[in-house]
Parts: sequence; structure tokens; C-alpha cells
Amino acid sequence: MNRLMSSIQSLTTTRTPIEVSGIRKLFFSQEMVLFLCIIFLLVFVGLINPRFVSNRNLISLFLGNAYIAVAAIGMSMVIISGNIDISVGSLIGVLATVSGILAESGYPIIISWIAPLLLGILVNGVMGVLVAYLRIPSIVVSLGFMSILKGGLIIFTGGAWISNLPEGYALSQLKPFAIPMPIYFMVILTILAALWMKVSPFGRTIYAVGGNSEAARLSGIDPKSTVLRIFLIHGFFVGIASVLFSTQLSVIQSTVPSYLELTIITASVVGGVSILGGTGTVVGSTLAAVLIATISSSMIFINISPFWLRSAQGVLILATVLADLYRRRRQFRN
Amino acid sequence: MMGVAKRMKISHEAVLFAILIGSILMLSIQSDRFLTVDNLLNQVRLIAEVGLVALPMTMIIITGGIDLSVGSIMGLCTIVLGYSWKILGFPLEMAIIFTLLIGSFAGALNSIFITRVKVPPLIMTLATLTFYRGLAEGISRSRSVRGYPEWFYFLGQGDYWGIPTQVFVLVLAILIFWFVLSKTSFGRSLYAIGHNETGAMFSGVPVNKIKVAIYTLSGLMSGVAAVVFVSRVSTTRSDMGSGLELDVIAAVILGGASIFGGIGTIKGTVLGFLLIQLLKNGLSLTGVKGDATIMVIGLVLIVTILITNLLEKYSSKDSSVS
Amino acid sequence: MSFFIELRNISKTFPGVRALHNVSFDLQQGEVHALVGENGAGKSTLIKILSGVYSPDDAGGIIIDGEQHDLRNPHEAQLVGIATIYQELLLLPELTVAENIFLGHAPKTRWGIIDWASMHSKSREILQSIDAGDINVRTLVGTLSVGNRQRVEIAKALSQQARVLIMDEPTAALSESDVNRLFDMINLLKNKGVAIIFISHRLHEVFELAERVTVLRDGEFVATKKVVDTEQNELISMMVGRKLDTLYPSTERVSGPVVLELKDFKRPPFTNSINFKICAGEIVGLAGLVGSGRSELAQAIFGITPATGGVLEKNGEAITIPNPETAKHFKIAYVPEDRAQQGLIRRMTVRENSSLALIRDISPHGIIDREKEEQLTKEIIEQFNIRTTGNEQVVENLSGGNQQKVVLGKWLATKPEVLIMDEPTRGIDVGAKAEIHKLMDQLASEGIAILMISSELPEVLGMSDRILVMREGNIVAEFQSKVATQEIVAAAMMGVSQ
Repeated sequence: MNRLMSSIQSLTTTRTPIEVSGIRKLFFSQEMVLFLCIIFLLVFVGLINPRFVSNRNLISLFLGNAYIAVAAIGMSMVIISGNIDISVGSLIGVLATVSGILAESGYPIIISWIAPLLLGILVNGVMGVLVAYLRIPSIVVSLGFMSILKGGLIIFTGGAWISNLPEGYALSQLKPFAIPMPIYFMVILTILAALWMKVSPFGRTIYAVGGNSEAARLSGIDPKSTVLRIFLIHGFFVGIASVLFSTQLSVIQSTVPSYLELTIITASVVGGVSILGGTGTVVGSTLAAVLIATISSSMIFINISPFWLRSAQGVLILATVLADLYRRRRQFRN
Repeated sequence: MMGVAKRMKISHEAVLFAILIGSILMLSIQSDRFLTVDNLLNQVRLIAEVGLVALPMTMIIITGGIDLSVGSIMGLCTIVLGYSWKILGFPLEMAIIFTLLIGSFAGALNSIFITRVKVPPLIMTLATLTFYRGLAEGISRSRSVRGYPEWFYFLGQGDYWGIPTQVFVLVLAILIFWFVLSKTSFGRSLYAIGHNETGAMFSGVPVNKIKVAIYTLSGLMSGVAAVVFVSRVSTTRSDMGSGLELDVIAAVILGGASIFGGIGTIKGTVLGFLLIQLLKNGLSLTGVKGDATIMVIGLVLIVTILITNLLEKYSSKDSSVS
Repeated sequence: MSFFIELRNISKTFPGVRALHNVSFDLQQGEVHALVGENGAGKSTLIKILSGVYSPDDAGGIIIDGEQHDLRNPHEAQLVGIATIYQELLLLPELTVAENIFLGHAPKTRWGIIDWASMHSKSREILQSIDAGDINVRTLVGTLSVGNRQRVEIAKALSQQARVLIMDEPTAALSESDVNRLFDMINLLKNKGVAIIFISHRLHEVFELAERVTVLRDGEFVATKKVVDTEQNELISMMVGRKLDTLYPSTERVSGPVVLELKDFKRPPFTNSINFKICAGEIVGLAGLVGSGRSELAQAIFGITPATGGVLEKNGEAITIPNPETAKHFKIAYVPEDRAQQGLIRRMTVRENSSLALIRDISPHGIIDREKEEQLTKEIIEQFNIRTTGNEQVVENLSGGNQQKVVLGKWLATKPEVLIMDEPTRGIDVGAKAEIHKLMDQLASEGIAILMISSELPEVLGMSDRILVMREGNIVAEFQSKVATQEIVAAAMMGVSQ
């Protein structure tokens, strides 16, 4: 950050500050670009194979990936604050299993939905304390937790799936007004989170801490408690995501999709959250999660071997980052 | 070397060494199969791949960078090895060389974007982690390759005078990397870049060339690890090396390197991966299920860094007056 | 006369260092009070104690409005009305001007969310009151110039109802016009009753702005005087503790052949077509406003941002310099403007820094010759009179002047023929300044061609044989320093006809 500042400091005083007009700003924003990409894909692939844009497919598309968008909300906050969490995939697996076991053992359904939230907040709270107060870099902490959670999950379940789930447990399969529940969660949580980050003082301090923690501290903000709170909030979102994940089918597998944490981080990064901290929005990460899901689904429909899906994801991350870098440089150069 | 950092480094390695000795003692008490020469040598065989890749990773982390794609490069190389030999019909020796070239190229590709386009290493290698794994999956389509000639297995499964072949390779690599990092101007430049890349550049250190070198080296060593691995397990599959980057990075960080750059040693990294493997082995010998070992490793990682942080706080530090 | 703030017998010790010892200081309401002293004298420590960043060794020494206060953290200092503006501006470039001004204390509506309208209108008011109403409160701070950012920082301080504004080297990075605006602003604030403490190495500022000045030396209090009761030389002797012969030595020198020549040398967008030459044994001063392109020109010559057009000739032969390694090869050295980021590796030792530019040369077959390195370091420490505990001291802990000497030592060890120095004495105390000037004079006598970029006109006039003036990417004037005056040079810098 200081490098950026000192390179800007060599500019003259006679330049006027850049004021990008409202509409232009909207058009070139990361969010709009993502939105247009989604539309483009839908149209393009839909022309090739109309079944792609059938109601059924679209709904199952959103349904299967909404939880990723929800998890990406918390992850975006973590990344904006200048940290990272690569344990999120394993945590979702653990929380989903906990939820399933509670339901299977006869506890009231509502408990099996709420417990993962609390547990998620707790686990991430511990991580937050290690990062904020004991000053262990978040990459190290989340690396450690990822191993701990992964190992713990396998030991605990022994690889078995949970299948005796009671009626009414499957939250994700509810369909108010014919729209699956996860989609409501995804949209509403995204909007609430985005608003909150924009208008609440705490929301702004997330950006402050990520941008220049020392400056924030000298302005009377406490970066430590802010980072801790961010991890707690992240735990909350992970908890919700895990319930959406666990209730998708009538069984709970003992593993999560491979590279889940990578997909979630990709959604945040592609959504415009800069890995350098300090910028980005949750609307972007949700759109990005949708885009990633759309790409993977579309590959099936145009008969590209799913084996190439991952390569496409990799290229996608790179393309987005390049675009982000380009945008930033243009904005700050002149 | 550097005032404060020196003190911290010594105490970190001391802590690590102490934990290592302590673990060895504890584990040998728990199981009498642990402290046998056979077993210990076999463990080094198992950790060879992680060890080989951890060496250039140490250099990369010292410069303040990171390479998350090593596991995927290794996976890609195992596929390239199998397919260039079986499908393309290369003689195996040529296939091996080709594999190493591909590995180096993959690493070089990372470095080009990192140096020319200035993509942060974390993101670039996150992208290539996905991309290279994707290539591996795409090429292999989940089919595996078997039936390599007998002589090939000597590297991974054979031994000289009772010492596994890959140990020789690993030890040689360790010596070379240790020497370069601690005694040469190249090594000094790495530390300079890690502490202050701008300052290094302004002092005429060829920063970009050095970065290209270390990331290419990382790809190369991932290729070497791939060859060793295939030789050890006798087959080729596209999911190989998955998760390698975590063991490697854990070993380097455990070894005392700072993720922010400027600090780290080969000695520490070696202690790091030895500790990880010994823990894995000891735990499994005492009946702890295989997956519990990753839990323990995660725990050990966090606890070790915690101890080092606390030690740093309480040891006397120079402080700046201004 | 009752004092607004009083510090009594303040001491501050860090492990191994006594930064302040029994220092007393007082400030009156609405006063402009300057704080001067060499680097390491304790000025920054003193103001950090006032800002709540450090706590003094013993409690009870801080008295505000007659009451004892313990300022345990920056927040408490703010509550009492003390606001500090540091040299590295601490703004968040990704947030807007209004958000930065009200960072941490944004006005809220009844429901606890940010009241944007109020924040924006209040920000506008504050900026107006310091005559900075031309700044749009909705722009991102990252897009503002240095001068404007400083104004935002001042507005931020005022938004906290500051009664004291502490400024650490406020003019260091400012252009001439920004400095004038700052002075006006300081007077404005004074009239509103805001007291101001400022640290500066530029003594003429002290005489222009302050009512009283306090001198510190080696962590001890020397004196507080009314500015009208003292003059520059007296201040200098108090700061330095001895008499200084001269700040600008210059022996008679004859310049040799042309060493470096630029013909139509270009590096857009920073510089247009540049033409000049430097001779051996000559000191050429390069003057210009901040942003005129001087550092960029130097960095283009040195290979950091290589030229895109034109010819560079060394000793008559055309050469290309695509990177700093090549510049070194051609015996060109660059002592950068930003000492901390560009000149040194702060967390490495004196030895490691001294040898860095030469590292390949002392490493036969790539292996570092430690003996040679130790020898080199010892020589540099001796030759430049660097105050350090030894080869292994981390340079971060050296004072500014000594750090600059390490940078110089590092580059001079490469035996350059051309030495480009970018603001060589910025932020350095008077004693070290004189030493560096003496050194430059000596080097020129030995035949080295020196290009000196400086924003301090007295230094430019005092040290140079020839003066070039740069404005907006072009060389607009050349003077023999014997016939130049500060006014002539300044006029050329600003493009004003005399």
C-alpha cells in the first residue's frame, strides 16, 4: 500500500482529481461485467442447446450453487480485510455432518439448522483470535485448521454417509412460490450484506482495516477487534452455507466437492474483491459464483468434456485478475 | 546475518529441533517399530517428493511470494510422463526429460505473469493450480498408465547399500539448495527481495530474472518429484500431487520462514518436513488412524508458530528511535 | 499566562536507547510552536507521546488545561483535542475524501447507520474553512495529489475538534505553491485558536511561521525561545552543539571531459525531449518543482523506467540502459529520493546493505567472499563517519543522516563515474548535511560527475557549478551558478518571466 502511495506522491499538484460520472462508473464496474457475462453465456449456450435455459436446468443450477455464493459473502469480507481463509471447504463439510447427525439422532429440526451456525461462529472465532490477537498470519492459521477439520471429519464419520434424515429437514428442498429456498437465501443475504457494508460504520471499517491497518488504528479504530468480528461474521455465513449444502439431497455425503474452498475464493476474487485487500463488494462475489456455476453447467450442455472444466476455471480467474489490475492501474495512474 | 532476525531464527530452529527430538523420543516409547533404521529410511522415501518441492518453495517464500500450483504441476507431470511414453511412444528416458521440461515450462509460465504483468503470486498460482490440474484431467480423462519397465522402479523403490535411491537425490538437492541460499550472491538477493523488493531493484539486483529462475525451478522440482512418485507407486493418475502444496508450504512455514518474506532457511525447511513425516509415521504406528495425522499436523503448525511468535515478543529486540 | 499544554520532565526509554530525558515543553493557546533538532534528537518521540502513541516512563508529566492526563492511546489524545499529521500520510486511498475525514467517527442517523448527507456537508464545510473548497468530497483519496491529501488530513484533524495540530515535516513532499497554501492555512487555523506544533528541518520556515521554537539535542531539552529573540546560526549551534564552518563548501574545480550526454532523450509521459551534458568533476544541480519530472528523468537514465527514445552517450559512445544492472556496469550510480523504500533494505544490516550494489563483484563464482564484505563495510563506516554499533546493526535503527551515508557508501563503493543524487539531504539534520556536502565537493574534485536533484534552492545555488531547471518534463533553463540567484531560478521553475 505504501508503495502505491509513494508512486502517486510524485504527481504534480496541478492535476485535477478524476471524477468518473455515475453511469460510466456503473458500466465499467466489475459487477456489471459479470452480469453481462452471465447473460451472454445464457444466450450463447441457450442458442446451441435450448435445454440449457429451461426452467428446470436454471433452477437446479442455482440450487446447487447458492450455498457457494452465501459462503463467498463472508469470505469476501475476510479478503477485503486483508486476510484469507482456506479452511472454509472443510468447515462446511464438518458443519454439514454435525447438522445431519443432530437431525438423525432425533433432535428438533430447528436445532439441527441452528447448531451449525453457532459452531461455525465458534470455530471461526478461534481462528479470528489467532489471527488478530496472536498475530499468526491467516494463511497459516487457515492452513492448520483445514488439516484439523479435514482429518477430524474423516475420523468422525469414517467415510459413511448420513441417510436417515427426518422429514422436514431438507431446508434446501423447500420451494416457496416454486423457487428453491437456497435462492432466497442467496439473494436476500447478498443484498443485506451489501447494504450493511455500505451504510454501517462497521462495514466501512472493514475496508479501512484492509486498506491501511496502521492508518485505521491511528484514527481510533481497533483493527484487532474488527478482524475478530469479521471472522465471527464469516463463521455465521459459513454456517448458513453448510445447512444449505447439507439439505440439498436426502443424504449427506462425507466429503465436500473437491477444491470447494478454491471455488469460494475464486468467486470472491472474480467478484472484484482484491486480494490486496481494501476493495470489492459482495454483490460481485455472488454474481461471480453464479457465473462459475453457469460456466460449469454450460460445458455439459455443449458437450465439452467436464474434464476441461477446471482448466476453464483457471483461465477465468486469471482473466478476471488481469482485468482488475488493468482497471486499477488506469484509475490511479492519471 | 540480520540482527533481530538472526536471534529469532536461531530460537525458531532450536524450538523445532527440540520438538523433533521430543517427538522422536515419545514415539519411540509408544512403539518399538518406530526407531528402527528400516522404518526411518522408509519414511524418508515417503517424504522425498514433499522434500524436493519444499526446497525451491523455501526460496519463493523468502522472496515474499508463494507457489500454490506445485501439486498441480506434479500431477500434470505424472500424466505427461505416462502419456508421452505410452501414447506418444517416446523412449522412457526421453519421456522423463520431456516431463522435466514441461514442469519447468509450467513454472516459467507462472513467473512470466508474475514478473511482466505483475499478477500477485497468490492469485497467479491459484489460477494455475486449477488450470494445470485441469490440463491433467483433460489429457488423462481419468485413465491411468501402468506397466513401466523394471529399471524405472529403481528410482522410487530401489536402494543402494540399504539406503533408498531417492534419499540420495534428496540429500544432493538439499546440499545444493542450502549452499546456494546461504553462501551465494543469488541467495543473498533472495533475502533482499523478500525484505524490500523496490530497494533490491534500485540497488541493481536483477529481480525479475531471479523470480523467473525460482518459479521455473519450482516447476522443475515438481517434475522431478513427479518422476520419483510414479517410480515409487508404479502408476500414473491425474489426481496425483493433490494437496502437495499444503504439505510443502506447511513444512516451509514450520521451518521458520515468514510468509511475508525475508526470513527462512533450508535447515529449517528440512526440519519442517522431517517433523511432518515423523509425526505421520509415528502416529500411524501407534494405531492412530491415518487421517488423524493431518489433524495433528495442522495443530503442530499452529502451535509452533504460536510459540515462535511469543518467543519473539519476549526476547530483547532492537527498537527504532526516531 | 496559563499554558494550554504542559509537559514536565518527560523521559522515554526504549530497550537500549534513551530517547528523551527530562524534557519539558509547553504550548499556549493558538500558538505556532516549532520543534527543531537533529535526527535522533527526540522530536518524533516527543510528539508521539503527545499523540498517545507512546507513554512516558513516568506518569503525571502531561498537563492539559491545568489537569493531569494520561494519554494511553491515540484515541484518548484525540478526545482531548490533539490531532497529529504524520509524514507518511495515513489516508485510505480506496475511500472517499468525506469518509477519510470522518473515519472512525462518522455522523450517524437515529438508527445507527451512517448519515451520508451530513457527512458530506460537514466535510465540505471544513474544507471551505481551510480554503480547500475546491476538493470534491466524493472523490477517492487515491486520486488526489500530495498537496490535496495533506489538506484532507488537516480537515480530518479539524473534524475531531482539534485544539492542537501537530505536523511532522509538513513541507517535505510539497511543491512551492502547496507550501504557500499550507502557510496560509496555518495562519487561518491560528486565527481560529488552533495551536500548532510543527517539526521541520527547514529553518527558514521556523522563522516565517512560528512564534516560539524549542530545540532538542540527543534527547535533552536545550532551550525554548521566542523566534524574534533568536536567529538561524544560534539555532543551528544549539541543535548541533558546536559551530559549523560552512554548509556549502566549494573548492575550486576544473571540469574535465564530457562524461554523460543526453540527446533527445525521452521517457513519456514523464519527460519530453531532454538534452544536456555533464562533465567529469562537475556538480550540476537540477532544480524544479515537485512533479517536474526530475526523479523520473534520473530513473530513466538509471534504467528503472528506461527511455523510449533518444540517445544516451557515455564518454562519447552511445549506450542503452534497460535496467539498473546495466547502469551499474556503465559506472552510473543513483542515490534515490526515497531513502527507506528505494535506497535501503531496512531490515538488513549495515554490512548487507553496503555490499548490495557490489554483491556480484565480491562473489567470485557466485560465492560471497565474507572477508571482503566485512572489509568493505568497515571501510565505508570509517570513511563516512557512520555512527553505528558495528557491521551487524540493522539499518532501520540508524538515524536518517547515517542511513543516507550507508546509501552513499554503498554506491560509492561501485566506483561510479557518474553519480546522480536525488534530494541527498532531505530530512537530514544540519550536521550530517554539512558532512554530505563536504563529501560531494571532495568527490567532484576527484573527477566524479555529479547530478544533484534538489528542491532546496540554497543547496542548489550553494553546491552546483551549473544549474539546470526542469519544468513539466522539459529542461527550460540553464545557468552558471555564479550568476544565478534564488529568484531567477525560482522564476524559471515556475515558468514566470522575471
